[in-house]
Amino acid sequence: MFPVPAFLQCPNPDMEQFPVIETRDINKTFPGVKALSGIDFTLLPGEIHCIVGENGAGKSTFIKILSGFLRPESGDIVIGEETFRYLSPHLSQEQGIQVIYQESLLVPQMNVVENIYVGREITGKLGFIDRRKALSETRKVIESLGIALDPQAMVENLEVADRQFVKIIKALAMNPRVLIMDEPTAMFNAQDTGVVLKLVEDISKRGISVIFISHRLEEVARVGDRVTVFKDGRTVASHDNPRRNIDLAMITREMVGRSVDAFYKKVKTHPGETILEVQGLKLDKDSPEVNFTLRRGEILGIAGLVGSGRTEIVEALFGAGKKIQGKIIIRGREVTIDRPSDAIRAGLGFITEERQRTGLALGLSVAKNMTIAGLNKFKRAFITPADEIRSAGRYVDDLAIKTPSLQQEVRFLSGGNQQKVVIARWLFRESEILIFDEPTIGIDVNAKAEIYRLMSKLAANGAAIIMISSEMPELIAMSDRVLVIKHGQITTELVGENITEEKIITYAFGVTDDEQTA
Amino acid sequence: MLSVIFGALNPRFLSMRNLLAIFQQIAVLGVATMAMALTLISGGIDLSIGSMIGLSTVIMCRLIMDGTAVPLAILIGAVVPVGCGFLNGVIVAKSKCVPLIVTLGMGYVYYGFALVISGGLFMSMQGQFRTLGRGVIAGIPIPMYVVILMVLGTHVLLKYSKFGRRLVALGGNETVAFLSGIGVDRLKIITYTLGGAIMALASLVLVSRLGNVLANVGEGYELRALAAAIIGGVTFEGGRGNIPGVFLGVGLLGIVQNGLNILQVSSYFQTLALGVIIVAAVVVSNIEKIRQ
Repeated sequence: MFPVPAFLQCPNPDMEQFPVIETRDINKTFPGVKALSGIDFTLLPGEIHCIVGENGAGKSTFIKILSGFLRPESGDIVIGEETFRYLSPHLSQEQGIQVIYQESLLVPQMNVVENIYVGREITGKLGFIDRRKALSETRKVIESLGIALDPQAMVENLEVADRQFVKIIKALAMNPRVLIMDEPTAMFNAQDTGVVLKLVEDISKRGISVIFISHRLEEVARVGDRVTVFKDGRTVASHDNPRRNIDLAMITREMVGRSVDAFYKKVKTHPGETILEVQGLKLDKDSPEVNFTLRRGEILGIAGLVGSGRTEIVEALFGAGKKIQGKIIIRGREVTIDRPSDAIRAGLGFITEERQRTGLALGLSVAKNMTIAGLNKFKRAFITPADEIRSAGRYVDDLAIKTPSLQQEVRFLSGGNQQKVVIARWLFRESEILIFDEPTIGIDVNAKAEIYRLMSKLAANGAAIIMISSEMPELIAMSDRVLVIKHGQITTELVGENITEEKIITYAFGVTDDEQTA
Repeated sequence: MLSVIFGALNPRFLSMRNLLAIFQQIAVLGVATMAMALTLISGGIDLSIGSMIGLSTVIMCRLIMDGTAVPLAILIGAVVPVGCGFLNGVIVAKSKCVPLIVTLGMGYVYYGFALVISGGLFMSMQGQFRTLGRGVIAGIPIPMYVVILMVLGTHVLLKYSKFGRRLVALGGNETVAFLSGIGVDRLKIITYTLGGAIMALASLVLVSRLGNVLANVGEGYELRALAAAIIGGVTFEGGRGNIPGVFLGVGLLGIVQNGLNILQVSSYFQTLALGVIIVAAVVVSNIEKIRQ
């Protein structure tokens, strides 16, 4: 009845044995970090090739090299019969590579059809947009995929799952040879996940190769023809999965692999009295209740995948994020925390993850950034530079902040020194409960060790610390206890010897028997 | 440098009388620029300040013409811009809308009220309340004292007070200010209200000097104050700028305008020149970003 669009046609079966993409010895370095070392990767026509690995294992970097957003230092990318040193975004698309990113790249104020054809609108004779043709083409694709989606619905009114479909259709409409999906099921419930997975299988049956990145190992086992494990910028293993029964325990072990090097270890203290108790904290009506306690002298690690809701929990605690209920008891007294000023008054300090965006006013001086949360520490109404030197100056010495003066704008400081300024802000305020969200992100190795030593010292002096981290060695070496978060819920609490990379990953990824939700 | 050029072109420029005249001309602008600078540094802007002058002065005159006691009329006239600033602050803080648009619209509201109250006619102070604008102490016109005190006061407030610290932090990074426990909404309302209070003073000086006004008497002050502030080193992003610099910006604008007057450049061309200066100042102040 209708001509079948090209991308829905089956490929020539003779092509099957040649890889669509092959990378050879890809290397990529970021300042201070070797992001990828010697990646050899093969993608066959029509296969679903899953990539798994921890946060920071190099998956995203590798995808960005395939999509042309990053250039490797060395190595070859072979696509079909052509060999490239690197790709550009344009070249990558031209070679038939389409990426569906986690973050939405749709225009919410446009409807489904308009989004699919944005930038390459179908025009009629006079140059006007041919809406009817675009609509009928889109309908055809939706029908062929067997999903229910109104092509004229506004994207802003769509459910998350449907938006994901729109992204997929949009990518398919470009006639790709390769579809890369970065955590396509991350925010779905079980039912929608099933639909997406089925769709992925359909797509691969049409001869389109899929690179499927997921943190959910059950999914990987279910759809993957092959599974490649990334670890510290290397591919550590690649398994065929013809019977969909790959050993997930083995995969987990391979993801962990590295022995945890004791680069710095928190000085063991005897935790003092309980300073903070969180009881029945709920962020919204569907989210699980969160309960935990924190004692003086303790570092409480919070582990979990990116997007697992770790930050949201501490933001709620600090009065900076939404919450609908929950009792917060500090030093034995219940406190109401509706906004950060309440939390600060109760003795909390928050060192945020995005230092440059939410931690510092970059154009302001070291002194101004340092004193902003504790201006009331100044007794007099007016503050002179001499007052600043007297009161804030000692933190420059105590924390060894490298800056020519207190009046230097913080944007000229290195990452490590900037982080020290943020920490100094809360020391100046005399906060006793410090929340560190990814304390060493974007900081070089030496400064990292300094930050660890500082956190350890603070704990030894009676402060209580909550540390969110995605870095396993950091969590293991620094934490007295670790809470593992998954989907906003504390899945386990690990103490002492039980804090191992394997356990954290197991609970964070949820490859356990008590797994019911996903 | 500009003074020298204008002085060379016309010797009258450098006379003492003319220098005093420049000061007199920039007195109202100087005060108004303090209001503009404060809102800009806090990360906002108030484009309704020109209309506040119109509304305030028209109300004063109307009350006096209707027989209200002069002190009461002046008090009411002075409270009006404070209220306007408060209203701007509340809308900006609570609606989370772009202050540029909010205050542009509110400027029309205030101007509209001024037109309604005045019926579009000249309003007169009937010879009352002349000292503030025209008086002289020790050979120096009173508006000069006013502007100098205002500049010093704003400078100290911004640089040394806790309020000033919080305001600069708010402009520097609103999220950081919020996470540091600053009541961001409240601080915005206070800042705009303070701007309104400063405009009350500007209105009093102007109405006292002019004696009678039209509803559009404050027209253009917002843009000139903006230009002076930007020339003086304040940025649109907020968090940056110091008051002595801003005052230099005011002086520069005053000198240019006076010089053009003395050279008898038509007011049409002066408008054109002002526009060019404003755009040039904004572009120059953005040079660092362009380079990036």
